[in-house]
Amino acid sequence: MAIILPGRRRGVRDKLSRLHWPLIILLTMIAGAGVVTLYSVAEGNWEPWAIKHGLRYLAALGILAGVAMVPIRYWMALAYPTYFAALFALALVPFIGEVNMGARRWIEFGGLQFQPSEAMKIGLVLGLARYYHSLRAEQVSHILYLIPPALMVGAPVGLIFIQPDLGTALLLAATGAIMIFVAGLSWRIGFLGILGGVAAGYAAYRFDILKEYQLRRITTFLDPERDPLGQGYHLLQSKTGIGSGGLTGKGFMEGTQAQLKFLPEMQTDFIFTVFGEEFGFVGAIGLLLVYLAVIFVGLSIAMQSKLHFARMMAVGVVATFTLYVLINTGMVMGLAPVVGVPLPLVSYGGTVMLTIMAGFGLVMSAHVHRDQDMYRSGDSL
Amino acid sequence: MAGVNAHDPERQETVSRRTVLLGGGVSLLFGGVAARLYQLQIADHQKYLDLAQENQFNRRVLTPLRGEIVDRFGGPLASNRKNFRVLLVPEQARDVDAILDKINKITPVSEDKRARVMREIRRRGAFTPVQIADNLSWEDFSKLNFELPHLSGVLPDVGETRDYPYGADAAFVVGYVGAVTERDLSAQESDEDRVLLRQPGFKVGREGLERTYEDELRGEAGVMNVKINAHGRVIEEMVDSAVPPSQGRTLTLTIDSELQAHAMKVLAEPTPGVDQDTQSAAAVVMDVITGDILVLASTPAFNPNDFNVGIDPDLWRDLNASPYKPLLNKPLSGVYPPGSTFKVISAVAAQRAGVKPNHSVHCSGRVWYGNRYFHCWKRGGHGHVDMKNSLKHSCDVFYYDIAKTLEIDLLADTARKFGLGQTYELGIPGQQRGVVPDRDWKREYFAGNPAQQPWFQGETLSCIIGQGYVTSTPLQLAVMSARVATGKAVRPRLVRAVGDLVLPAPEAPLIDVDQDYLAVVRAGMNAVTNEYGTAARSRLEDPDWQMAGKTGTSQVYAITAEDRAHGLAKPEDLPWARRDHALFVSYMPFENPRYACAVVVEHGIGGARAAGPKARDIMKVVAEKDPASRTPLDPRTLARASGVREG
Repeated sequence: MAIILPGRRRGVRDKLSRLHWPLIILLTMIAGAGVVTLYSVAEGNWEPWAIKHGLRYLAALGILAGVAMVPIRYWMALAYPTYFAALFALALVPFIGEVNMGARRWIEFGGLQFQPSEAMKIGLVLGLARYYHSLRAEQVSHILYLIPPALMVGAPVGLIFIQPDLGTALLLAATGAIMIFVAGLSWRIGFLGILGGVAAGYAAYRFDILKEYQLRRITTFLDPERDPLGQGYHLLQSKTGIGSGGLTGKGFMEGTQAQLKFLPEMQTDFIFTVFGEEFGFVGAIGLLLVYLAVIFVGLSIAMQSKLHFARMMAVGVVATFTLYVLINTGMVMGLAPVVGVPLPLVSYGGTVMLTIMAGFGLVMSAHVHRDQDMYRSGDSL
Repeated sequence: MAGVNAHDPERQETVSRRTVLLGGGVSLLFGGVAARLYQLQIADHQKYLDLAQENQFNRRVLTPLRGEIVDRFGGPLASNRKNFRVLLVPEQARDVDAILDKINKITPVSEDKRARVMREIRRRGAFTPVQIADNLSWEDFSKLNFELPHLSGVLPDVGETRDYPYGADAAFVVGYVGAVTERDLSAQESDEDRVLLRQPGFKVGREGLERTYEDELRGEAGVMNVKINAHGRVIEEMVDSAVPPSQGRTLTLTIDSELQAHAMKVLAEPTPGVDQDTQSAAAVVMDVITGDILVLASTPAFNPNDFNVGIDPDLWRDLNASPYKPLLNKPLSGVYPPGSTFKVISAVAAQRAGVKPNHSVHCSGRVWYGNRYFHCWKRGGHGHVDMKNSLKHSCDVFYYDIAKTLEIDLLADTARKFGLGQTYELGIPGQQRGVVPDRDWKREYFAGNPAQQPWFQGETLSCIIGQGYVTSTPLQLAVMSARVATGKAVRPRLVRAVGDLVLPAPEAPLIDVDQDYLAVVRAGMNAVTNEYGTAARSRLEDPDWQMAGKTGTSQVYAITAEDRAHGLAKPEDLPWARRDHALFVSYMPFENPRYACAVVVEHGIGGARAAGPKARDIMKVVAEKDPASRTPLDPRTLARASGVREG
C-alpha cells in the first residue's frame, strides 16, 4: 500500500480497505441476535419479523458503507443544511403532521411517511459537531458561544416535546448535553446547567406550568397502555421473564413468559426480556459486552480522528446509540420508566435501524477519512 | 493562524480526555445494568422462576345452578343433579386422538361423539375446555382420576345436569334444556352472558317453560381467580376473593304432579274392545275458581331427560315420524272439532236468540235443509226433545232445528265468551287458537274465492254441533267447562310464583250473558252422567262429588255407502287415522263446582266410550285428593340454596 498523504483523495477500493471491519462484525452480531430472538418470538417462524429484520439490516449495511465512502468534507458541508432541514420539517409537524395514537409525529413526504424527529437525531449530531469544529478551545465555555448550541438543542427538543414525544425529546437533550460536555464545557458551567435543568423540570411539575392535558399526554406517553395497572403488570412480567432465565437461560424458544404471551411488545420494546429469558445471564451479559465493544470502537474512532468535526460527530452518534441501549435495558428491568425506546439493531423496526446504521455510516466515514483535517471554516487544507 | 487552521492540540486533548471520561461513565452505567441483571437472574432467580411458573392468574367463571321448577306443593318437576364428567383442554392434550383412545377404555366414546368433540375443538380454539364425556358412574369417574397422570390435558369435573324426575309425565309442562347454539350466543346482550354460555356443558331452555323462563331460571354467574402454572394446570383457587354464583329463581307451578302422573297413566290405557298399541290423547284438569291448571297431560310423550344429554339421532327421527305425534303438546297445540261438547255453547246461544228451555223439537233421525238431509247420530231419532234432553241425549236434530234461524255471529260470540278461539298466557309457546267461525272469519278465510265468502245457513247446521269449521284445543274445552260451571270468565294459569314473587290469580268476572241461561245447560250436563244420559257409565258414585259432563264425537271421515258395501260395519274397521275423535268435558261437584276436566282421545271412536271413562278415572282421584283444599307451597319459604339433589 502506498504511503498516502493527508488530505489526498482516495479511491473507493482504498476506502473499502480502510473500513473498520471489526465494527461491522460487531454490529452484525447484534443484528444477528435480533434475528434469532425475533424468530423465537414468532414461535419458530421467519415470518413476520425475523426475515425482514435480517434483510433490512443487510440493506442498512449497504447504506452504512455508502455513507462511509462519501468524503467527509461533504458531510461537513451538509451538516448545517441537514440540521436546518430537519428542524424545518419538525416545525411543520404541528401543521401538516399525521396524528397517530394521540401524538403528531409523522409527515407525508412524496408519498412516504417520514418522522422528522428521527432525522433530527442525525441532524443535531451533525449540526453540533459542525458548530464545535469552528470553535477554539477557550471559546467552548464562553457564555456567548454557549447560546447557539443551547438554541440548537433547545429548539428541536421543544418541538418534539410538544408533539408530544417525551422519550425522544429527552434522548436528544441528553445527546446534546453529552456532546457539549465532550467538546470541553467547563465543569462549573456543566454542573450549573444540570442543576438548572433539574430545577426547571421540578418547577414545571410543581407549579403546574404544564397544562392538565399536557400532563395527561405525558402520562399517556409514559404509559402507552393508558392503564394504571398495565404498566406495572408488564414490568412485573418482564422482570419475571428475565429473572426466570437464570444463569444460562431456558433455552432457545423455551421461554415460557415469551411463548405464553405474557409479555407485551415482544418484538420491539421488550425484546431484551425474551433474549434474557431464553439465553440467561450469560447471554445477556454477552450481548451487553458486544454493545460496549461497539461503543468503545466508536469512541476510539472519535479519538483517532484528526478532524474535530469527525471527532464530535462520532461521539454524538455513539452517545445516541449508548442512550438507546441503556434506556431500553434499564426500562425492561425496572431501572428506567417505560418510555417506548427500542433496543438498537435487535428490536424490530425499520426507521430506528436506518437512523442507527446511517449514524454508524458517519462514524465509519470518520474512520475512513481519519487522516484528513480541515480549516475551521470547513475548507480543505 | 490559530483562528483559521483547525489544528488545535489543546482542543483535541480536551476532547480525547472527555471521551475517555465518557467511555468510563458508559462503562459504569453498563456495570449498573449488569448488576441489575445479576440481581434478577442470579440472586433472585428462584423467586422469578416461581413467579413464571405460578403467577399466571386466570379468571374462572362459576356456573350458577339452574332454578328448579316445582309443582304446587313444592315437589320437583325439574331439578339439578351431580354430573361426573370429563373435560379436555386441547392445547395441553397435544394428541387428542390418543387421549380419546385412552378414555374410551374407561368409558365408551362413540365415533359420533369423537367427531363432535373434534368439531367443537375447531370451533372454540385450543384453550377452551371441551366436554368429552358426562354422566359417568362413580366407579368410572374414580378410575379416570386414577389414570389422570397419563392423561395430559384431561380435567375431571363435577358439574350439574338438569334432571326431570317425572320424565315423560311432565314433559309438556316443563319442556327441556339443550346445548348452546351459535344463535343463542349471538342473542345474548352482554359479554358476561356469552362467557357463561360458552362454559362447557352449559344448557339453555329449549322448549316449554324452560325456554320461556330462561332469564329467571338461569341465575347469575360467579367468578373466581385461579392461579395457573406454566403448563396451564390450576394450582390454587383464590376462594377468598371469589364472587359466588347465585342460583336461578324457582318456578312454582299450579300443577299437582301426582295427579299429572295419574292422568298420564289413565290416558295411555287402551279403550276396551279397541286393539291399539298407543293411545294418543290429551287431558286438562283445572281449578274452576282460581284457573290453576292441575293436570296438563299429553300422550304419548317424549322423555326430556333424553334431550338433556344430547338426543340420540335415531330416537329423534322416531319421535318425528310417529303418527301419534309425541312431540306435539296436544292440550295446547292439538286442534280438534269439539263435536257435541260444543252443544253447551249452542244451548246458551239458542237462549240468547230467544229459544226457551222448554222449546221442544221432534227428532225423527234426520232433517231436510237446503238440498240434503242432516242426520242425527241416532238413526231412529229421539222423538220429542227439549233443551235439557238435547244435552242429555246429545240430540243433533234439536240443534239443526235451531240452527235454521240462528245467526252464526251470535253462536261465535257465545263460543268466544266461553273461551274458544283464543290463547292463554301460560308461558308455553306454540299454543293454537282453533277456529270460531263467523261471517268476518269466512270472508277473510276465503279471500281468494268470492263465491265462498258469504255465510250459508247450512253451515250453521254443522257448526252448531261442533263440526264444520269449528275447532278447539283441549285447554279451551277445559276453560269452557269451568266457565259453564261458574258462570265466570275463568282464565287458566300454570305459573303460580316466580322465585318468591307470588303471582295473583287472574280476574274472573261474570260472563256477559244472562246467568239464568246456564241453569238448563248445567242440568243437561248433570243428566248426561247422573240421569242415564250418554255418559252414564262415567258417573262418579260419591254423592259429594257428582260429576256433570258432556260427550263429544267429532267426525274425521264420513263413512260412505260404498264403504258399507265393502263390508265396513263398525268404526273399528276403519284405519286409526280415519276414526272419529272422542271428547269429554266435565266439572265437579255438580252443586258447588271446583274442578273442570277436558279429555280428548284422538281417533278414539266415541266420546262416551273412550273419553268419558278416562275423565271419570282422572276426576275420581282428583276428588279423593281434592288438591284445592290443601295448603299449597308458600314460595317465600323456599330455601335459597336448594342446590343439587342427590341421586
